[in-house]
Amino acid sequence: MASTGGLRSLKGMQELGLVIVVLAIGGFLSTLGHFNAFPGQGNLFLNYDNLIEGIATPMSIYAIMAIGMTCVIITGGIDISVGSVMAMAALGGAAAMEQLPIDAPWWKVLPVGVLVPVVIGLACGVLNGACVVGLRMHPFIVTLGTMSIFRGLATVLPPQATLPSGGKRLPIAFTPDIMRWQVGGLEIVPLLVMLGVFVVGAIYLWFLIAGRETYAVGGNEEAARFSGIRVGRVKFRVYMISGLCAGIAAVVSLGRFGTASSNTGLGYELVVVAAAVIGGASLAGGRGTAIGAILGTLIIAMIDNAIITFLGKSEYRQIIIGAAIIVAVALERAGHLVRGRKS
Amino acid sequence: MPQSFVQFKDISKHFGGVNALTEVSLSIVRGEVHGLMGENGAGKSTLGKVLAGIHTPDAGQIILDGQVRHFRNPADALAAGVGMVHQELAFCPDLSVAENLCMGRYPRTLGFLSRRKMADEAERLLEQIGVKVDVSRPMHELTTGQEQSIQIAAAVGTNARVIVFDEPTASLSTRESDHLFELIGRLKARGITLIYVSHRMPEILALCDSMSVLRDGKYVGSLTRAEATQDRIVEMMTGRVIKIRETGGNRLTGREMMTVNRLTSPGKFADVKFNLHAGEIVCMAGLVGAGRSETAQAIFGMDPKATGQVTVEGNALSLRRIRESMRRGIALVPEDRKRQGLVLMMSCSSNGSMAVLDTLRRGPFLNYRKERVLATDMFARLRIKAAGIDAPVNSLSGGNQQKVVLAKWLARGAKVLIVDEPTRGVDIGAKQAIHDLLHELASQGTAILVISSELPEVLALADRIIVMREGHIAAELPRAAADEQTLLRHMAGVGPTSLN
Repeated sequence: MASTGGLRSLKGMQELGLVIVVLAIGGFLSTLGHFNAFPGQGNLFLNYDNLIEGIATPMSIYAIMAIGMTCVIITGGIDISVGSVMAMAALGGAAAMEQLPIDAPWWKVLPVGVLVPVVIGLACGVLNGACVVGLRMHPFIVTLGTMSIFRGLATVLPPQATLPSGGKRLPIAFTPDIMRWQVGGLEIVPLLVMLGVFVVGAIYLWFLIAGRETYAVGGNEEAARFSGIRVGRVKFRVYMISGLCAGIAAVVSLGRFGTASSNTGLGYELVVVAAAVIGGASLAGGRGTAIGAILGTLIIAMIDNAIITFLGKSEYRQIIIGAAIIVAVALERAGHLVRGRKS
Repeated sequence: MPQSFVQFKDISKHFGGVNALTEVSLSIVRGEVHGLMGENGAGKSTLGKVLAGIHTPDAGQIILDGQVRHFRNPADALAAGVGMVHQELAFCPDLSVAENLCMGRYPRTLGFLSRRKMADEAERLLEQIGVKVDVSRPMHELTTGQEQSIQIAAAVGTNARVIVFDEPTASLSTRESDHLFELIGRLKARGITLIYVSHRMPEILALCDSMSVLRDGKYVGSLTRAEATQDRIVEMMTGRVIKIRETGGNRLTGREMMTVNRLTSPGKFADVKFNLHAGEIVCMAGLVGAGRSETAQAIFGMDPKATGQVTVEGNALSLRRIRESMRRGIALVPEDRKRQGLVLMMSCSSNGSMAVLDTLRRGPFLNYRKERVLATDMFARLRIKAAGIDAPVNSLSGGNQQKVVLAKWLARGAKVLIVDEPTRGVDIGAKQAIHDLLHELASQGTAILVISSELPEVLALADRIIVMREGHIAAELPRAAADEQTLLRHMAGVGPTSLN
């Protein structure tokens, strides 16, 4: 594997740190899981079912979007519309698939079920990118606006609040046959999709010219422009990627739950931005990796899982995720201070 | 034995793996102007910043007026009477001069901010150093020289007994510099001890009562003004004997590579006309703000408002697209390496390949092997000093950073190379290396346009000299007809102007 050098070794340090955090939280929760279990009951946290069904599968939807978000954040931008984009994409997919007979064959169902949400996601990304690049608007404002617009469309456009409606169901070939396909009693498709998006994302950022351009634009936009890098095109691309990822996440969500509603993906932007930032993406631009996005999501998913396993109340979730963002950024700042930077 | 007022004892400081200062000890007499000299990366700025509390030393002591001090931050240092005037000016650009000057100690009336008192206080501070500026103007309307005066006023206002100047003239025009020197004279008369960090020999020799030289983070020695000569200082700074050679003016030049005709951008420059031949170095002289960098950027395709004709090898250029200019063989090394030239957090090799990513393609993939070969070659060719090609570029000294920016454009193998301030903030060794490189490129047939505000550099490099003034070409002279005084007259617009 080729090396990206100094940048890489720095990244290596940061990701090692994340792995240590994951292990520390895991160790702590396993201990808790051991002592909180009733006699005869296994470890509440450290068991196969909980690790896969309770952490890995639910995190896949967030992780897919976190990789897209990381690309955006590397350029110094942000995309807070992802939750709404996901809702539009999922509703579109559900609306299209409910037209198909319930026993339609997989080769008719899958293209519709995958392409419709993905194209809707991409289209939303194109709109975001066009506003940010073409109108030179701040990405936070643009995606704050589109977050509201897309959510509104997701409420207004569908004939019913939840699709499929009127007692209908999605084609069996889509779900459960494909999307909830089980291997050894576990649904592995969301994990495979997450893995696929991770691999593509990592290749994009590390091995493609486009990836290098992404870091260059985020690191110093002016210098990138002076080097003949088409800054607008680079930024446009990342918003498309983020929209695409939200579309893919919508496919996974549809598959897992079998329905979509105007509330699908509500508030996900918080978790996704948090995952990217905990994973080492810097809002100032220039830093962030695909593996960091995965590890960042994993940390949130573990905390999430622990809240449900040990507290039994999901109300604490927002407080703890919010605190995790602040702790992660504080730790990163502290790391900079310790390493000592030449001004 | 004069009493030492500021004393550094065995100061060491490292950044990451780099030792910026190693056991530096030196002392400075009360009320003198003391020059701190050294090449870029020698540690002179770091030593100044240690005194001003910006960096905390790893080891060693600072003794100020007989007392051992440990400054943890600039506020500590300020409280003890040490102020600093920075290279990069730190102000809120949208606030007024008065608001900036009174920052942190805003005057109040019944708990409300009193604008009247604030303006009075600001005016009093400026009066102390004899500077007149309308204190209600927002900071960003001021020139760099005025901003610097405000910084000095702020330091004096807090009763600083020692003021550290870090490369104060780096971004000043000649007139502004003269004004600064006057001001320094006035501060000295008030009994303030001044530490003047610079690598500009004439300034140090004109201003300082004594000076100390650092090299590679170590103390080399101190000289009084009487003992100091230019050659002696250069020798101490470099550890060897160097003289800047003048080698321009006698090259054989080839065919016409680029023509610029009626190039105009509203408010920046108008009717600019010149040409460049293969194998010649043309220098563009002028005062800061004369429109030279703007002209260069317009030729490179960065000014959407520019009109006029530019041709490269006889073919017209569209003037709007950087990539087209690059394809046609134009390269621009920008004036501000930190802002326009480098992505500081990326590695040297990633920076070096930024302008040639299109040639490092293997499908959509980046050819890492080729990138590394390129970087390794450039390190050898330009003798870049760094921990390695993977070292982040912000760990390099200014001179080596500048070499990386040059390497980035050399990698493209340009036919027309435009270099804007190639040696700004660069030490004398790196400066000579960059000059040698430009001569070498010219002899290989590159057409080179150098924009420089340093007249000795213009005279050392040029075959032909273009002088710009207020957005127009004021004169064009062959090297043989140019000397500093002629150029200065054209730059300032006095004396005979039509030598064209």
